[in-house]
Amino acid sequence: MLDFYRRLYRTIRPSSGDDESEVRADGGVVSDGPAADPPTEPDRDATARLKSALDRRFGSDFMESSIFWLPPFLLMGLFVYGAVIWNLLISLTDYQRFENAPDYSDLDFEMYTRALADSGFVDAAVNTLILLVLFTAGTLVVGLLLAILIDRGIRFENSFRTVYLLPMSLSFVVTAQFWLWIYNYNNGIANSVIGTFGLGPVSWLGNQDIVLYAIIFALMWQFSGYAMVVYLAGLRAIPREHYEAAKVDGASTLKMYWRVIIPQLKGATISAAVVLMVFGMKAFDFLYSLVGGYRPPNGADILATKMVREAYANLNWAYGSAIAIVLFAMALGVIGPYLVYEYRRDNL
Amino acid sequence: MSDEELRTDGGATTTTARLRRNLDQMTAEDAGLYVVLIFAAAFYLVPIESGLVTSFKTGTAIIETAPFAPPGPSGFTLEKWQTAIDALLRGMGNSLLYAVPATVISAVVGSVTAYGLTIPTWKKSYKAVVLMLIIAGIFIPYQAVLVPLTQFWSQWAQLDQVLSFVWALGVSNDYAGIVELVITHVAYGIPICTLLFRTYYKTMSEEMIESARLDGATLRRVYRRIVLPLSGPMFAVVLIYQFTQIWNDLLFTLVLVSTESSPAAPVVLILAGLGTSLEGQDFALRMAGAFFAALPTLAVYIFFGEEFADGVAA
Amino acid sequence: MATLELDSITKTFQDGDEEIVAVDDVSMSIDDGEFLVVVGPSGCGKSTTLRMVAGLETITAGTLSIDDRVVNDVKSQDRDIAMVFQSYALYPHMSVRQNMSFGLEESTDLPDDEINRMVSETGEMLGISNLLDRKPSDLSGGQQQRVALGRAIVRDPEVFLMDEPLSNLDAKLRAEMRTELQRLQNDLGVTTVYVTHDQTEAMTMGDRIAILDGGELQQVATPLECYHEPANQFVASFLGEPSMNFFDVTLEGNRLVGDAFEYPIREDVRADLGDATDLVLGIRPEAVELVDKAGDHEFETTVDVVEPMGDENTVYLHFDPDADPENASALVATIDGFNRVSEGDTVTARIPEDAIHLFDRRTGEALHNRSMKDAADQVDL
Repeated sequence: MLDFYRRLYRTIRPSSGDDESEVRADGGVVSDGPAADPPTEPDRDATARLKSALDRRFGSDFMESSIFWLPPFLLMGLFVYGAVIWNLLISLTDYQRFENAPDYSDLDFEMYTRALADSGFVDAAVNTLILLVLFTAGTLVVGLLLAILIDRGIRFENSFRTVYLLPMSLSFVVTAQFWLWIYNYNNGIANSVIGTFGLGPVSWLGNQDIVLYAIIFALMWQFSGYAMVVYLAGLRAIPREHYEAAKVDGASTLKMYWRVIIPQLKGATISAAVVLMVFGMKAFDFLYSLVGGYRPPNGADILATKMVREAYANLNWAYGSAIAIVLFAMALGVIGPYLVYEYRRDNL
Repeated sequence: MSDEELRTDGGATTTTARLRRNLDQMTAEDAGLYVVLIFAAAFYLVPIESGLVTSFKTGTAIIETAPFAPPGPSGFTLEKWQTAIDALLRGMGNSLLYAVPATVISAVVGSVTAYGLTIPTWKKSYKAVVLMLIIAGIFIPYQAVLVPLTQFWSQWAQLDQVLSFVWALGVSNDYAGIVELVITHVAYGIPICTLLFRTYYKTMSEEMIESARLDGATLRRVYRRIVLPLSGPMFAVVLIYQFTQIWNDLLFTLVLVSTESSPAAPVVLILAGLGTSLEGQDFALRMAGAFFAALPTLAVYIFFGEEFADGVAA
Repeated sequence: MATLELDSITKTFQDGDEEIVAVDDVSMSIDDGEFLVVVGPSGCGKSTTLRMVAGLETITAGTLSIDDRVVNDVKSQDRDIAMVFQSYALYPHMSVRQNMSFGLEESTDLPDDEINRMVSETGEMLGISNLLDRKPSDLSGGQQQRVALGRAIVRDPEVFLMDEPLSNLDAKLRAEMRTELQRLQNDLGVTTVYVTHDQTEAMTMGDRIAILDGGELQQVATPLECYHEPANQFVASFLGEPSMNFFDVTLEGNRLVGDAFEYPIREDVRADLGDATDLVLGIRPEAVELVDKAGDHEFETTVDVVEPMGDENTVYLHFDPDADPENASALVATIDGFNRVSEGDTVTARIPEDAIHLFDRRTGEALHNRSMKDAADQVDL
């Protein structure tokens, strides 16, 4: 494909250069026109015809603009879609251990049946879903509340916003260190806080039933600032008159937000939710850094960590690929409808 | 707050007016609002603050003082920072070595791609297909490409051998991983950079572009002379966003560079294993390391917070 | 210098499964050095037509030629045209001088000092020499407008295209620029196509005007011809303020019978109508006279509203004093500002037979127009 493009471009470029000189030489006869000069080389004529045929089919700037977007698009397509397809292939092989390359001659769904039988996989899938749903919903709610509070014409608005968004600028690797310290059993802040209410101490990262929720809480801390920024942009796009009209109509502040303002934030909610779910699926970095290894705390294994562990720690390449495909399918389930929605709104 | 000030400075007017209004009408509701906001701010800051004070504490101080309290004169030490810097400095250099080129390249490529997909006229329905594929690329979980990526770099494109003339100069061949990271981050950075630039280019005046084309400029000249010079603000946003993302990423470094003992190990890789030993966890060291590793992104965030917010909101 | 020829130009857009015809089979030819104004209500296809001439939109069907060269497939930049946009489309990061040089740099091989000289000359001609080193954002709307013009002029193109170039200016400046643009076009003698929705611009500026509605060309003629001899009811109603009065009438023998009145017509007018019996009678407000004596073409009316405009009054009359003014067929007349009438007065209005227009009610086509000669005579009075 890349080669085809290069060849095409090489043949077209000199010919379009010729066109330009022709225009100047005889005061404006253009060879694209119906009264074109007889072609000197049949090859050139063919490419010119191909170019105009392509332009007619795709729009007048198609060929000329392709030099800008096509090479990056191909590079990205190769690394993203090429890799996903390759990954799918690998997941159908039995590739593992120190084999240099997968054996593509014998393809089957063995890795997928193995996944279904693997209780570790099922647990990780369930944990992934819990994490996605709770993390996304929680972050959206906190972000919305913060955005509404900040949008009420307060002083130091910028300072507050900067503080709320600060964790988002930090690496998962860094924030994991902070939360490790906070959830620390002996003198972590989490236990001191619940200690003042006469509770605890709790082994936040050691207790299988709690650890996932502790991690979700930490992730919410990191990303609610992001949800706030998105909601704030949405709120700012609502005309001031809507607030005033609702007030004139006698709605209470609470009612005004619930019935007039929040329904208008649908677009912001959808795009923030999609991005957050994707962040949630990428929580690998956080979990890895929490323990400094491939094996997250018991009860907090998600597909993202399981996939990397199977492939890179246990060297079950094909099995890891199969898990990756499941993760990819989950992501697609979220992104696909979103993209169609954006396309329908003409917002691509 | 004199009236003169109100008249002379437009910016000050709103702030002072707002301030006056707030002071005049500071109701219980408003007071409650600020209390909530300050509590929220504390919630976001405490983990960071607590990490900062801890990084200066001696082992005894960690046990004896509250986690968020400052260490006090006897419990204060710079020793952990010293150790962290010693351990991470090499990683900082390595991280810069791929984060800076990858950021710059992906921003430039993103700008060019977005230009080709936004300004020139070709069929919308075909554009939409290309755009959808690109935007979907933003949301791909990297796990789905990891194994092929390893295969690609280890079996297909063996930079290790291609770049052998570099190793001959005495550079450790582990640095092939850095080159791989640059290319990988550029490839996966194209979608988000393209999207960010596209939102910006969509707001450019269509008539201005048409005018330039009527003036005889080719698409390439329109980009060079009109679009690129006007892209400054968006470049700031994209560079900052991309730098933060690439600097902070662990997964690719883990897969492509693999060991923290490698001379080419990026800072995140070293940090993930820092302060863990058989005797237990050295929290002060971990915190010092975390702060040190976060310094570049923190600096970027503090100086360019506005652009960062624009980047994440898009 | 060049002639411009549009031959059955058609533009269709695809909107989902629907095909929308934006410009439908428009043919006209513009002479060398002519100033043609294309006018019509918004959405009539006038801008699309201009953009097809510019090469910014593809032509679905028909041929476009500049100086007998078919340019359908020629890229904009090779058509040797310059365009002035409604938003001026100045490059914000370039100084005025750079804005004006840009086109010459991109489309010619002229050396820099030659370009500089041409820009300075054009700047002088437009009176913007002192602005050449400023950025567009430092200029007023009127100055930006001049720079946009200068950018087009400096390229010395075969054809000027202007897309509502004055609509972002305030009323006073707009009137000034109207005169100035006409003077410039006269001096330069460049073929110009000028798109506007403003009928004053159309009437005052153009050598000829082309009136579009619903993508279809209604009439191309001199402004006075369009005004006095409209091709159809749309043109008649579009030009003139207040708009022409229209009454549905039926031809019965030699009489036009309407809801409110009967109007006898002469044999020569009758002859123009052919077989059509369902007609629309049109009369311009300024042709209606208020008189003392009664007659066949004089009608008793009641004054409903008087709008004093200073030099003249616009008077809304209705025929039936008892009718609900909302529904009764009204007659609008423009009369001398000193002619004092007031609300509720009963006055006699004359509809002079020399001044009436008759349209086929079904097709809207004009069957009988007042003659240009009569119209000219009346102006003399």
